[in-house]
Amino acid sequence: MNIYLLDDIKKLQLHLTYQYQLHQIVKNNQGQSHWQQISTDQFPTLLHEKAQTSIKDFFFAQQENILVFNGEYFQETLPSPNPFVLFGVQSCDLVAVNYQDKFFKNDPYYQARRKHCLLVGLDCISPCEHGFCPTVNAGPGVRSHTADLILHPLVNQPLEKPQWLLIEGSEKGAMAIKHMTIKGQPLETAHWHYLTQRDLTLKACKQKFSDDSHINIAIEKINNNNVSAVFWQKVAIQCIGCSGCTSLCPTCSCYGTRSIKLPNDNISQERFWDSCLYEGFQKEASFHNPTAEAGKRVERFWRHKFSDGIATEFDRYGCVGCGRCEQTCPGVIGVHSIMKRIANDA
Amino acid sequence: MMLNHIPDSIEIIDYKDDGKDTRHYRFRLLSKTHHSHWHETQAGQFFMLNVPEVGEAPFTFTEPPNEQNEFSALIRKMASVTSALFDLSKGQIVGARGPFGQGWPHTILKDEYILIVAGGCGLAPLVHLINTLIATTENKKIVLIYGARDEQSQMLIAQQKRWLKTITIYHTLDQVSEDSNFNDGFNLLKGTPLDVLPQALSSFNSLPSKVLLCGPEVMMNSIAQTSIGRGIPETSIYLSLERRMHCAVGLCGHCYLGDQYVCKQGPTFSWQQLQSFRSTA
Ligand code: SF4
Ligand code: FES
Repeated sequence: MNIYLLDDIKKLQLHLTYQYQLHQIVKNNQGQSHWQQISTDQFPTLLHEKAQTSIKDFFFAQQENILVFNGEYFQETLPSPNPFVLFGVQSCDLVAVNYQDKFFKNDPYYQARRKHCLLVGLDCISPCEHGFCPTVNAGPGVRSHTADLILHPLVNQPLEKPQWLLIEGSEKGAMAIKHMTIKGQPLETAHWHYLTQRDLTLKACKQKFSDDSHINIAIEKINNNNVSAVFWQKVAIQCIGCSGCTSLCPTCSCYGTRSIKLPNDNISQERFWDSCLYEGFQKEASFHNPTAEAGKRVERFWRHKFSDGIATEFDRYGCVGCGRCEQTCPGVIGVHSIMKRIANDA
Repeated sequence: MMLNHIPDSIEIIDYKDDGKDTRHYRFRLLSKTHHSHWHETQAGQFFMLNVPEVGEAPFTFTEPPNEQNEFSALIRKMASVTSALFDLSKGQIVGARGPFGQGWPHTILKDEYILIVAGGCGLAPLVHLINTLIATTENKKIVLIYGARDEQSQMLIAQQKRWLKTITIYHTLDQVSEDSNFNDGFNLLKGTPLDVLPQALSSFNSLPSKVLLCGPEVMMNSIAQTSIGRGIPETSIYLSLERRMHCAVGLCGHCYLGDQYVCKQGPTFSWQQLQSFRSTA
């Protein structure tokens, strides 16, 4: 795979808009960052900040109709989005997309969207608040198998020199920039020593993360069954079932289904994000509820992120260390709070 | 291959009441549209019934799809999907996806001594199996314990009467009324299946080689534990679990049990398998 030097990222953005609809992380008036479709040529600067919305929405829609029933037959209603590029995705989210690619491998709706997407990753060169990607092997540098193209900001580079490294991650990424020229010239190939420089920058970034040893200690305790039902129940009392974590978590994938009537009197079945932390998540028609106890639900959530069983199936833990659940949880079951309590008290 | 979330159209061709709020439904897969795997249905597998405008819910087959593409299910009126179904008439079209999950173990056809314990609706997932066992059985001993709350909540009585020729059946009722019929050929007892378990077990020369359970989880747990206490290996005890299901293909998460999904790895499990999942639950 090739590596190139880029002086102006806008040229890449512009080039990609010839083939793709561009989406980028921008800030709203309240200072919150979120994904947005960019339809002008005024490309926003690249934010080194994770979005406060979940990237999974692009592939596993928050809400979608999966079929239509006309009174006689049920027909699949697959989405057919225009090709789009997610520009500037942090490594944790890319690892999460990779994880969901496996989970939804045979889901036609997910794959119908996914195949139209080009992922442009962005290396993180400083830790983000609550993030702990190095502890769960998900960052800060973009893993090349998770992105089509990777952008690396070159630090301490004199202003008159190129500021970015552009790395091809996949065949699809290579194709996307194959015909890109700058002032009539093909892209400038980068010397391999830039990759060494990238490694050093990423290593330095890794060292700047705070001590996250509570995560590893707690993971071990969870898998050795050293966390009692009493403990889970005690902490779970503080879960108000708001679904903030499950909505924001890029690897959460639970959904519910319901039948709805369309304006033309046809009937559709809709699927929508659900949360395993809701009290009624497992409630059966008979009212039997195997996880009526909050402790069982919170335990399930965290096992789904950190159990060795999941790790065997997906080649990694279900948590990618983005820290969003810590940020959003009004109680104390966000990742750092709970893992600290498990490490210290369980 | 991509997962299929789309039901096939089925026609309600008949239904008959059986016990309180319970009906035998007969459906027919409508021609041309249906998927071929219906004819590979195994005893103990399930399908998702789709009542348009209401939703989907899982049910087991009491008779799997036959050459005429007809199949049966015993359905109890519980919540929205079943209530809506009960309001539909013959000839109306609903949907079905399936078959899903793991059925009862095939090896059971080779077993000679089988104890089956079912509670309430829990007999439904066993009907097709018992019919198959009876049809393929000579010199087998099958004992069924069937528990229900009261006489009105018993189901599949006509079916069970036919079985009586070949198998021994114990009935237990939580509440027995004065006029309860003790002379039907069933051994009727006031109590729960656990109360007749010793008697049923001792009716075998040695121990049954398989124990099959389906019904409320508390009942299954207590029967399994007692059976293990009597020397039956954990690998010889099988049970069928009920869970809320939305997708039936291992995606929606609703039916989880530890790291497993009941719709995929179940609904039938050996007791041993179940213990290993529960330790991760
Ligand atoms: S569990 Fe929390 S930290 Fe881990 S990926 Fe999900 S939201 Fe991010
Ligand atoms: S019913 Fe959806 S995962 Fe089992």
